[in-house]
Amino acid sequence: MTQSEIFDRVVKILTPYVKNQEALASVSEKTHILDELKVNSARLVDVVLEFEDAFDIEIADEDVDSVETVGNAVELIQAKLG
Amino acid sequence: MALVLQRTLALAASPLTTLTVVLLLRVWLGLRVENRAEARRTWRALWRAREGPLLLCANHLTMIDSALIAWALAPPLWYVANFSALPWNVPERTHFASTWLQQVLAYLFKCLPIVRGGSRDEVADTLARFGWLVGRGEAGLIFPEGGRSRTGRVEVENAAWGVGRIVKSVPGCRVVCVYLRGEKQAEYSDLPARGDRLHVSLSTLEPKSDHAGLRGSRDVARQIAARLAEMECAHFAKHGGQSVREIPS
Repeated sequence: MTQSEIFDRVVKILTPYVKNQEALASVSEKTHILDELKVNSARLVDVVLEFEDAFDIEIADEDVDSVETVGNAVELIQAKLG
Repeated sequence: MALVLQRTLALAASPLTTLTVVLLLRVWLGLRVENRAEARRTWRALWRAREGPLLLCANHLTMIDSALIAWALAPPLWYVANFSALPWNVPERTHFASTWLQQVLAYLFKCLPIVRGGSRDEVADTLARFGWLVGRGEAGLIFPEGGRSRTGRVEVENAAWGVGRIVKSVPGCRVVCVYLRGEKQAEYSDLPARGDRLHVSLSTLEPKSDHAGLRGSRDVARQIAARLAEMECAHFAKHGGQSVREIPS
């Protein structure tokens, strides 16, 4: 799976949780999930669990701490996919 | 080491800090806890009988809930003598530790300020330190919903998974759910209404999950929030107010 494909799927998973549609319209790998997309921090685990299901990977609790931007999520998923 | 120093200094200041808080709550705000004696008996019994770490998890409606709960559960001088039972807190830094005076007071009140929604690493580090304290036998108080409930009700779906992560990371951790609400508290506010009469209830829980990792943490957090939601229903059934609603399974 290419980085671009992962990015597209990540954005698709994030979309229902995003409260800032303007930021979503111009989303990039540098976009901050909590600060810019305004995803509720309490729902971040739901997002990450959807990543697990969508990509068939396991993400440890500690790994979630490194997910701040969309790019961080893409990198993490890429690393888990090997 | 830094936390041990903070505890030592907080203990030294505690006769003054705890009494000052109680005076502010009782005299300035005119608050009263209606079932204070019963709540205090329950908390003292739980504290004496504990065989492992205790984590208080409470509903969150005002900015001074931590102080209200501590006051509701024990008199100030009992905390001076049983200082580990005065819970550590993780308040929002922008509300409680943005000026130097606030930082000093937060330090002396056993607070570990946190920026919710801030750097994930910093949040994780603060919660890890909080978990370390609870693991060492210090009481901790955390609000599973993260911030004050915008609906005025416990929202199980908004349970912050970090609570579950803390519980899972502290072996033998027992959760004491605390539901506290004033009779005039219809929704969230900065402070309780002056002269309000508060009611508090406690319920213990040992949340467990068959899931590992994040799912397990979320599962545990939701169990705690669900218990608080049940306690909320019982509160309204007993004291009137908002209608009872179904608890999500």
